[in-house]
Amino acid sequence: MLELADVSHVYPNGTRALDHVTLSIPRGMYGLLGPNGAGKSTLMRNVATLQTPTEGTIRFGDIDVIADPEKLRRTLGYLPQDFGVYPRVSAYDMLDHMAVLKGIASARERRTTVETLLNQTNLWGVRKKALAGFSGGMRQRFGIAQALIGNPELIIVDEPTAGLDPEERNRFLNLLAEIGENVVVILSTHIVEDVADLCPRMAVLANGRIQLEGAPLDLIQATRGRIWMKVIERGELDRYKERYELISTRLFAGRTVIHVLSDTDPGDGFASVEGGLEDVYFSTLSQSRRAA
Amino acid sequence: MFGKIAGFELRYQMKNPVFWVAAILFFLLAFTLAATPAFPLGGGNVHRNSPVALIRLQVSFSLFYMFVTTAFVANVVVRDDETGFGAIVRSTPITRFQYLIGRFTGAFLAAAVAWLAIPVAMWVATLMPWLDPDTLGPGMIGGYAYGLFVFGLPDVLVTAAIFFVAATLTRSMMWTYVCVVAVFLAWFIMIQIGSQRPEYGDWFGMFEPFGSAALARTVRYWSPAELNSLLPPLTGVLLINRLLWLAVAGGCLALAVNRYRFAEAGAKSGKADKEEAPPQIEPSAPLPDARHRSAASAQFRSRMTVEMKQVFRSPAFLVLLALGGLNTGLTLWFGRDVFGTPTLPLAHAVIPLLRASFFLFPVIIAIYYAGELVWRERDRRMHEIVDATPLPDWAYVVPKTVAVALVLISTLLFSIVVTFALNLAKGWPHFELGKYLVWYLLPMSVDMIAYAVLAVFVQSLSPNKYVGWGVMALFMVASIVLPLVGFSHNLYLFPQVPEEPLSEMNGAGIYWVGAWWFRLYWAAFCVILLVASHLLWRRGTETRLMPRLRRVPRRLKGSPGAVAGIALAVFVASGIWIFYNTNVLNSYRTSSDQEQFLADFEKKYLKYEKLPQPTVSKVTLNVALHPSRIDAVTRGSYALTNLTDAAIPEVHIRTDSDLAEARIGFPGARLKYEDKPFGYRIYTLDRPMQPGETRVMNFVTERRQRGFPNSGSDKRLVPNGTFLNNFEIAPIIGMNRSFLLNDRARRRRYGLPPELRPAKLEDPAAAARNYIGTGWTTSDITISTEADQIPIAPGKKLAETVANGRRTARFVSEVPILDFFSIQSARYAQKHRLYKGIDLAVYYHPTHSLNVDRMLNALQRGLDYYQANFGPYQFDQVRIIEFPNYAQFAQAFANTIPYSESIGFIGDTRDPDEIDGVTYVTAHELGHQYWAHQIVGADSQGSTMLSETLAQYSALMVMKHLYGEDQMRRFLKDELDTYLRARATEAVEEQPLVRVENQQYIHYNKGSLIMYLLQQRMGEAAVNRALRAVLGKYRLKGAPYPRSIELIDAFRREAKTPEDQALIADLFERITIYDLKTTTPTAVRRPDGKWDVTVPVDARKYYAAGKGEEKEARLQDRIEIGLFTAMPGRGKFARSNVVSIVRMPIHSGHQTYRFVTAVKPTHAGVDPYNFYIDRNSSDNVAPVS
Repeated sequence: MLELADVSHVYPNGTRALDHVTLSIPRGMYGLLGPNGAGKSTLMRNVATLQTPTEGTIRFGDIDVIADPEKLRRTLGYLPQDFGVYPRVSAYDMLDHMAVLKGIASARERRTTVETLLNQTNLWGVRKKALAGFSGGMRQRFGIAQALIGNPELIIVDEPTAGLDPEERNRFLNLLAEIGENVVVILSTHIVEDVADLCPRMAVLANGRIQLEGAPLDLIQATRGRIWMKVIERGELDRYKERYELISTRLFAGRTVIHVLSDTDPGDGFASVEGGLEDVYFSTLSQSRRAA
Repeated sequence: MFGKIAGFELRYQMKNPVFWVAAILFFLLAFTLAATPAFPLGGGNVHRNSPVALIRLQVSFSLFYMFVTTAFVANVVVRDDETGFGAIVRSTPITRFQYLIGRFTGAFLAAAVAWLAIPVAMWVATLMPWLDPDTLGPGMIGGYAYGLFVFGLPDVLVTAAIFFVAATLTRSMMWTYVCVVAVFLAWFIMIQIGSQRPEYGDWFGMFEPFGSAALARTVRYWSPAELNSLLPPLTGVLLINRLLWLAVAGGCLALAVNRYRFAEAGAKSGKADKEEAPPQIEPSAPLPDARHRSAASAQFRSRMTVEMKQVFRSPAFLVLLALGGLNTGLTLWFGRDVFGTPTLPLAHAVIPLLRASFFLFPVIIAIYYAGELVWRERDRRMHEIVDATPLPDWAYVVPKTVAVALVLISTLLFSIVVTFALNLAKGWPHFELGKYLVWYLLPMSVDMIAYAVLAVFVQSLSPNKYVGWGVMALFMVASIVLPLVGFSHNLYLFPQVPEEPLSEMNGAGIYWVGAWWFRLYWAAFCVILLVASHLLWRRGTETRLMPRLRRVPRRLKGSPGAVAGIALAVFVASGIWIFYNTNVLNSYRTSSDQEQFLADFEKKYLKYEKLPQPTVSKVTLNVALHPSRIDAVTRGSYALTNLTDAAIPEVHIRTDSDLAEARIGFPGARLKYEDKPFGYRIYTLDRPMQPGETRVMNFVTERRQRGFPNSGSDKRLVPNGTFLNNFEIAPIIGMNRSFLLNDRARRRRYGLPPELRPAKLEDPAAAARNYIGTGWTTSDITISTEADQIPIAPGKKLAETVANGRRTARFVSEVPILDFFSIQSARYAQKHRLYKGIDLAVYYHPTHSLNVDRMLNALQRGLDYYQANFGPYQFDQVRIIEFPNYAQFAQAFANTIPYSESIGFIGDTRDPDEIDGVTYVTAHELGHQYWAHQIVGADSQGSTMLSETLAQYSALMVMKHLYGEDQMRRFLKDELDTYLRARATEAVEEQPLVRVENQQYIHYNKGSLIMYLLQQRMGEAAVNRALRAVLGKYRLKGAPYPRSIELIDAFRREAKTPEDQALIADLFERITIYDLKTTTPTAVRRPDGKWDVTVPVDARKYYAAGKGEEKEARLQDRIEIGLFTAMPGRGKFARSNVVSIVRMPIHSGHQTYRFVTAVKPTHAGVDPYNFYIDRNSSDNVAPVS
């Protein structure tokens, strides 16, 4: 559905944010994982017609996004990572205005749209309040509401769950899952669970390149039997770092739990664990770091 | 700690591009102004780099520099909130004082360092080779330093402190800039009022924040010599002003430290909203789809609504609107007075004031809002959401432009509302709404929207809002400077149009035609700019220009291309039509072309100035006026008589070079030389003219205008209200000095001697010519015009007929008149009064009847006084004839007085307490029927004393007898102020009155003072006897013409005492300045109930040289000491307030006068009515303690 071919983006200061990215994204939820500064937002903005890539092509269905951005915008829902609002405008009025901008001319249809979305995003009670006074979570929900106006075919949400509490995050992911069945939804995040919970397909972006692409289950499957775990003292960490391909460390009850990647049993007290998507992600990142 | 913080701040600010941009921008501005010869720095005899000129220029930059200062100091406070870094900084153990004042010091120092660019640029400019060295002085370092340390840096500090406190209290850049605009406009308003109400000069001097009013106050009466060599003394008003504002700065900083809180305040708790039940909607109901094709108009409307709400609900808009209203209100309330008489608020008089005073506001609003609106999505970080919608780019550009346009229109409408409210308040409930719409709202809206479109375009190109604003500021400066340096075609001065002068008589004349063609042209250009803005619109996160430029060709396809194509076609077509009108049908001349033309003319022909030429002894004219098509055909003949003692072999004939046609038939003469561009011809007579011989020549001329010119559309020959003089339609015999270049600097630039001085008073040859350059003649003038107009020419009307839609009238002179006269034609109403056999008449626009009776009364009183005291009036009629507002004067020709509609006819004379300017002007012009039309001065120094000064004197006497001596002080005080101020602008050298070289401030203003004092001292009867003696000797006679010294001799013959003889010398033959001062008069009650009054007086007298150098002289005179029960010249002061006025001997130095009075005087002083020329006239009278 959405095809990126050989897309590169170089900023005026020389930063190469995207480096020959080629991706094919089908209908349904698509997760874009990557650490901070990986180029996720650049990729999203390029698709959302807010930036023109330095080279490469982007097609959505039969729309050439670069040559004909106006056409894509007619079927696009976009929630940027960070956005502000006009002062002195209420949530209802702003959503109504956005509905017009998205092309819903009839007042009746607009009312249906706005009221439905206010309900879905749980903003009904505050619809008459000025957006400028919203909390971070409320503002984020408003952002989602506006992205859903007009049944877009392509929905791009950039780090949508940042700043949401667990309950709101659940609501939001449910909403996305419901919509994501028939349209293309690109969800960029650095939170692995979001992708694990939602996305039938995903990609990992780091240093402006696609490091890994596929279905989370297949990817997890591919690591089966290659992830090993050990609980160590903190002081021992450096020694293990030298000796093994360490993919993650975390603290648990005061001691350090490390995961290493190995095709064979490393011995040394390591136990095999069932890898999660997190291990896939971290192992990909550690490989990309090593390559770089 | 403090030093470290200030140092960090200074380094930080100096890395900020604002610092460099400001320094470079102000360097360029200061350099351009100081290095442009056309920019009036100094002026007259005052050097461009004289201390006061240098200081003034620095002070005027203070006003504009506050926008820069604010960027530095507001940034100190606001950046922590904007970047969100504040929480980190404010949680360190730094104190408020260190944080605020440390940073403030750094920011102020940065602003101060950037300011240095201004004096440096001014100095560099003086080294430029193209400046005329005569306009430069030695360049005192003190002038730069004084400007820097007394004005520049303190002003930067004061504005920095004020806007720093604004920023700390509002914590918002926008609000701080609203404060800046408010201060800017408040200052502008203050200056406007200050210039109209000089009596409050001391207050303005103290409270005007930049010190410019205090400076002006301090040096207002300085002579060129003083301006060139002295620094203003740091005392009095100037010192108070500087200290006051430094104190204000200190107070502001204290307030900032006091009121600043590190913690952000929580919002006030409001009522919690009631939770409402959501409407019943199926949770999974499908949302309506977007259907884009039909949404365009809804999108446009919705964008419009949002943009409008954002603007109209923003507090900044209300503040700007309120300030705009205030500006309009104050300007109109203190509106222009004419000779002390207020003007009725008629549309054609008010609209030019509105246009001038209100111009700045809409332009600032247009520029400000264009920046705000274009960048709003970005500033609010909404751009990613909005830009990703299918909203077409034009639906950004057009609503934003329309929003700015509506803001502008609403400010204009508001100014009209304010005007109407003021009209009501002035008791003038007439609202010529249609005129305000057609002459003000409509054209101003179009012109202002053009600025808005340009600003939107500039903002859509520029990398950020501030650069966009800077570019617009440069554009505004360029549009002021370019015409000054000779680029004056409106075809490239966006969005200028030719001037559209207004008049109630002539409406908008034909001037609107050209103006609206230009508006069409600029409107088409604006559409092109809008399409370009649409094509280049910054969408998404890409802000670079190049990628946007690359998209343009692709995006031009379809409707943008079509719209741009049509607009381009209209632009080109209207441009060609305009060019055809301005440059083919009419000639386009820049001011420098015009100057070159005059200089060439003078170089070629001034050598013939003294060539003996025959005099026109009879003029016969037949003028066919076609006012509505701007055409006048004149057929006529001259009888030329040789009044010299020698034969004349050649006759030189000039015609106005603007005439479309000029043919001359001269029987018995051969055209020897013809110069068509200059209209100069020389005829060789077949047989030289012998003394006393008379010949006849004939001529045909046509004056007309086709289409419209770029500037200078005909304002003399107009559809209703034509006013032409004979030199504009008929030939001139011989060469003279009229219509030559005047300005010294310009004359030098074109290689001419810097000035043309008249002949010395002692030159006997000068008496052979008079200063007007024509002799006495008889006239026979026939004028035909459109049937509904009334034609008027000097002389008795012999016949008037109407036939074939034309009215024809013939006028023949009964007595000799000067060969310098006017003809007029308009749709007049007329009022006549037969008074002692003389027909007094006023020809006026039918709606201008208000002051007609007052004019007739003034004529009657004038005739009574003049006939009784000077001699018989020579004509059977006097006619006052109104002409349109295009010039503001009245002019006396033989028995006809053209009188501008704006100076007498719309004067508001309803308040009996105001000065009666109508009577005064009328009496002055009637005076000229004697002083110019019975005797006319010889062509030498002092000539205008015999006409202008005596006309002033005549009018003063009429006023004195009408209103009483005690009312004259207000009048004389204005004359004194004007005279003293004007001395500083003297370009050549000031002359004593007897040698006046046509200097208006001498023959009018000083002349009034001197003649009034003379009649006070010698008695009115004695002065009038002297006038009669001179008049009787020269009345209506040809050469030799009288000289000013003959009148002085007549005065001397009337002077009875040595003191009066000395006074005549001081008044007429020297430039004498007095310094009379009353210190602290006291009154003590005596046992018998009377009062002992003591009046201590200091007195000095100085003689000034032509350039202002003064030396003290011994004062020995008799001057009035007065005791009053009210302040003379204020309010309702009248005869009854005078306790006593006694003339007492007075000498240089200190002296005390004692009186005994029955009532207690409240005021006492020396020369209480300001008859003497005294630079500090307000200390003559002091309150009694």
